[in-house]
Amino acid sequence: MGDVSQPEITQFMRDKANRSRIAIESYYANSVRQCVERENRAKKLEEEITAKGLSEKEKEESRQDQHAKETDFLRLKRTRLTVTDFESLKVIGRGAFGEVRLVQKHDTGHIYAMKILRKAEMLEKEQTAHVRAERDILSEADCEWVVKMYYSFQDLINLYLVMEFLPGGDMMTLLIKKDTLSEEATQFYIAEAALAIQFIHNLDFIHRDIKPDNLLLDARGHIKLSDFGLCTGLKKVHRTEHYRNWPSQLPPDFVSKPFESKRKAETWKKYRRAFAYSTVGTPDYIAPEVFQPNGYTKSCDWWSLGVIMYEMLIGYPPFCSETPQETYRKVVNWQQTLIFPPEQPISVDAKATIKRFCCEADRRMGQNNGLEEIKQCPFFKRIDWNHIRERPAPIKIEIRSIDDTQHFDEFPDSNPAWPIMETPAVKPENAPGQRGEFVDFTYKRFDGLTQKARY
Amino acid sequence: KKKFPQGSLRYSLHKQAEATLHSGVDLRAAVKLPNNESFDDWIAVHTVDFFNRINLMYGTIADVCTEESCPTMSGGPKYEYLWQDGIDYKKPTRLPAPRYMQLLMDWIEVRINDENIFPSCTTVPFPKDFRQTCKKILTRLFRVFVHIYIHHFDRLVELGAEPHANTLYKHFYFFITEHNMVSSKELEALKEMTERLLESGQNRRLRHM
Ligand SMILES: Nc1ncnc2c1ncn2[C@@H]1O[C@H](COP(=O)(O)OP(=O)(O)OP(=O)(O)O)[C@@H](O)[C@H]1O
Repeated sequence: MGDVSQPEITQFMRDKANRSRIAIESYYANSVRQCVERENRAKKLEEEITAKGLSEKEKEESRQDQHAKETDFLRLKRTRLTVTDFESLKVIGRGAFGEVRLVQKHDTGHIYAMKILRKAEMLEKEQTAHVRAERDILSEADCEWVVKMYYSFQDLINLYLVMEFLPGGDMMTLLIKKDTLSEEATQFYIAEAALAIQFIHNLDFIHRDIKPDNLLLDARGHIKLSDFGLCTGLKKVHRTEHYRNWPSQLPPDFVSKPFESKRKAETWKKYRRAFAYSTVGTPDYIAPEVFQPNGYTKSCDWWSLGVIMYEMLIGYPPFCSETPQETYRKVVNWQQTLIFPPEQPISVDAKATIKRFCCEADRRMGQNNGLEEIKQCPFFKRIDWNHIRERPAPIKIEIRSIDDTQHFDEFPDSNPAWPIMETPAVKPENAPGQRGEFVDFTYKRFDGLTQKARY
Repeated sequence: KKKFPQGSLRYSLHKQAEATLHSGVDLRAAVKLPNNESFDDWIAVHTVDFFNRINLMYGTIADVCTEESCPTMSGGPKYEYLWQDGIDYKKPTRLPAPRYMQLLMDWIEVRINDENIFPSCTTVPFPKDFRQTCKKILTRLFRVFVHIYIHHFDRLVELGAEPHANTLYKHFYFFITEHNMVSSKELEALKEMTERLLESGQNRRLRHM
């Protein structure tokens, strides 16, 4: 009988099955976590009410409160969030695959930053793995160094990541505003960025695209890392292929013309934003080995930190050029092109530190022992590594309200309202991602419900 | 003419292995209503979750569940399920399994997206017949397991999805029995296999001790 033998399994079905398996595995992994978390919340509540010495009646009230929250959470887990649950207040950022908006959740009034990514483009560039990476790391990482994610959901057209809003803007904007930073401020920001990088390395994640755009500032002026290999990862892949065919030799007539650093800084700043919004991006911060076929390790993130440190102190990054092609050539030939302009003198310690970051991967600071090596570096001797986040930041962020966007660019050409989507232009069965590429993308965090605005 | 090889029921049940995911969850404990939790909310969140995952699981074998291979929605020679929804199919109707599945999944999806049945806002109460509705949904979802286990188990194994299906089934089984959501008559279709699966779980636990 013909129907006894099974037809061959197509690659399509194999992929589909793999995605389903992953979705089911992650469901059960999450449900363990959620059980434990629920128990811990109950335990913590008991400890708290005991410590506070409440009366029996008050204790019972606190418990009732907590139960109500747990029930709300169950509902939230089940409900499908949509963009219409949020009011869009303003476009505050733009990236290669979408934009970032300031939004307010209708029912709670909480303010968030919402990153919107177009599925079709992600698929086209085969970046779905990167979206998962970003979702995964943001939802896993519960830590002060990483932007907190509260929800993720999707509709036919887009993926949505709803994150805490960091009102301080990004380091790129800060660097455009200030010509250079003092050595003291640089020590502080580089030390905080190093702690953040070490944190994601501990999760076994390599960022690969650390740059000032991804260092965000919270209301107190402290650093948090965002953008995990998502759009940037995608840009990077894009880039790697893009650059691979370019000559890596410097043109023979290359003279490292020390053209005046002030003018260089001005040119750099003029083009900086355009780089940030373009799909190709700039290779300024990427470690040279990332372009090579032999692969790279975590230490590529320490190289990027060195480049950022140079930019903070000198006013532009070491390899900046008029075109990305030329920048790429300078990065891979860093031995000849990493030059410190005499008209912008910096301390001996600072220079040595940059050189310890921007060097061959196997000699690089952080290569063997991560942050521990960096802590030994004399440049950071004044840093109190264990309490840095509690100390005041060198540059104060002034914020007038929880939805203050003065530290962000204006996007006058964008409409803050949601695009009209009564009937999606695509039939559901033809929508991007119907093959299950975005399965299990949805995520909700318990304290999304209970968090208080902390400003 | 039988469209499935004779004895495939026994064959599948015999072969039904014991592999489950080692997620570390005690599924039997996990389905119990937590202290002070609202029963309807507990049922609601599980029903939606089960629907999503069972739908996913059926999706993995959907290419081999065709009108030719499965002209009826059956569970071996003993069971056949007929479709009735009171609207397009007023009388119980014999349908090919893939068609039945399609109607079933759509029918459930409409319900769980209906704010009047599955309210999402905490201020809205659940309807009076909510439990009844969920029983019906879960009973129909059980039939998906029956069909997949009896007719497409080999495929699940080939795809490496067997532990996933088993874990999901166990979790589902604990849930519906803990809360009395599906009649025991309905459960007979997979009785033998269920026993084996629960037993193998137990043995494993004993062996670990
Ligand atoms: N949580 C947040 N709070 C405040 N602003 C944010 C937040 N996330 C992103 N932004 C702003 O939006 C800009 C773009 O965000 P992000 O870098 O994540 O987008 P992207 O699409 O990944 O762009 P790119 O790939 O160019 O980095 C950031 O540089 C920052 O100014």
